[in-house]
Amino acid sequence: MEIKFNNVGYIYNEKSSLEKEILKDLNLEIKSNQINAIIGKSGSGKTTIIEMINALIIPTSGNIKVDNCFIEKKSKIVNISLLRFNVGLIFEFPEEQFFNKTVEKEIGFGLKTFNYKTDEIKQRISNALKMVGLDDSYLPRNPHTLSNGEKRKVAIASILVFNPKVVIFDEPTVGLDSNSKNNLIRLIKMLKNKYNKTIIVVTQDVDFLHKMADYIFVLSDKKVVLEGDKYQVFSEVETLRKHGIGVPKVIEFSHKVLMEKGIKMGYRDEINDLIKDIYRYAK
Amino acid sequence: MDDILIIKDLTFKYNDNIIFDNFNLTIKRGTWTTIIGPNGSGKSTLVKIIMGLIKSDSYIVIDNTLKTNDNIKEIRKKIGVIFEHPDSTFVAETVMDEMAFALENLELKNDDIKRKIKEVSKYLNITHLLEKNPFQLSGGQKQLVALASILVLEPTILILDEAINRIDYVERDNILAVLSKLHKEKGVTIINITHDIEEAVYGDDVILIDNGKIILNGNKELVFLEEKVFNQIGLDIPFMASLSQKLMYYNLIDEMTFDMDLMVNKIWK
Repeated sequence: MEIKFNNVGYIYNEKSSLEKEILKDLNLEIKSNQINAIIGKSGSGKTTIIEMINALIIPTSGNIKVDNCFIEKKSKIVNISLLRFNVGLIFEFPEEQFFNKTVEKEIGFGLKTFNYKTDEIKQRISNALKMVGLDDSYLPRNPHTLSNGEKRKVAIASILVFNPKVVIFDEPTVGLDSNSKNNLIRLIKMLKNKYNKTIIVVTQDVDFLHKMADYIFVLSDKKVVLEGDKYQVFSEVETLRKHGIGVPKVIEFSHKVLMEKGIKMGYRDEINDLIKDIYRYAK
Repeated sequence: MDDILIIKDLTFKYNDNIIFDNFNLTIKRGTWTTIIGPNGSGKSTLVKIIMGLIKSDSYIVIDNTLKTNDNIKEIRKKIGVIFEHPDSTFVAETVMDEMAFALENLELKNDDIKRKIKEVSKYLNITHLLEKNPFQLSGGQKQLVALASILVLEPTILILDEAINRIDYVERDNILAVLSKLHKEKGVTIINITHDIEEAVYGDDVILIDNGKIILNGNKELVFLEEKVFNQIGLDIPFMASLSQKLMYYNLIDEMTFDMDLMVNKIWK
């Protein structure tokens, strides 16, 4: 599904004393069936971007093409509910929005409002649970009593139940320990590989992103200042720093060796490969 | 060094879930301890019990004072806590008023309040923020303001409850530098409670808790040798600890090293 930003600008509280320009002439094209990541300091407009894809907010200038639909100020969106079915948005701390007494009701709530038949709702809930790695035994459980990792999975399932083509995650690792993070990485990769979803992740967690992103957009000064696959982006250590973004530890180390000792060790994903390099160059 | 915090035989139930069962903990004065544990291990409950936000009958001594139901105000003066969401504790419309709030409640004289605010804001390098609205600051600045409004009370223990893991990386470096200064120059005891294992490279000691029990406790150089124990409860060890161990195995360095610059200089002398 095509998602393309054309010269998008966004100004909060336009024409008031609190006016603040967040984005200016932003151009960006999401890669289909890949894991796209948007990184940037807080306040750089990351969340604004993803809320626009779902038409929760409308750009103050320019337009966004999502599939056959244009999101822009001058014209009304023709089929907004179809757009929201296609684009699933998972907010930061999604489990804080739970308000039902069972997992089944929580996940099925959205569908119910759209007059789906009971049988189909059941089937979809079951499928959504399976996608996030939980089984039907969770259906009668109270979502509030689950572990943090399980809560987040249920929250994700309540979006997947709509069968969206695009799934957007806003800061999905916030508050998760390393075990739950690794589970989330597996889940996101599976959504891409097995279910052919396009994934968009907004995050500041570079170590997490380094383990799963295919393509990265770096947001700063109201626009995209750097983009490319993760190797291209993370080799620009100094540029990233200039925009207030750190790099994964494994890359920080190689970069330090290059800067201080003039030894070029190359880009490494894994700590074990880094060790081999160190061993080779230290002798 | 004496023990600044002693918790003995703490038992705490939440509904029918046992959170702590005969839990014991001591923290030495002037140390920087990281308390780490997976989600749901009881970390936040522990802070609430220490602060008296949750009642418990257990034996808790803070800075040589036995905590009772009557002296909770006195206890809270000794401990400053910075929470994950500083907004939830802000009450004033300017940073200056925010810092003055607790002091006014203590009925300090205006001149003394002004002097303290000046002193602390200088120390934290936030004098340029004094007239600003705390709610409109960046995440890192908010945490500095939260810290400032605690420091005016001159606490002996500073507890960080998941306070730095959501801050931008540049701002986080700045806060950690400020905390180091505070720890070194003023001898403030720091207890950092977090689920982010990378934060454990700052400070001296590490306590690993899971299911309300202390699994590992000691100097970080020793604790992180137990990588398997961390893995068993679903945690990794910090990058630098993992790298250190592997390099020690290949005889490239001789001891656990948490500082990246230092390590590079050890390998390439």
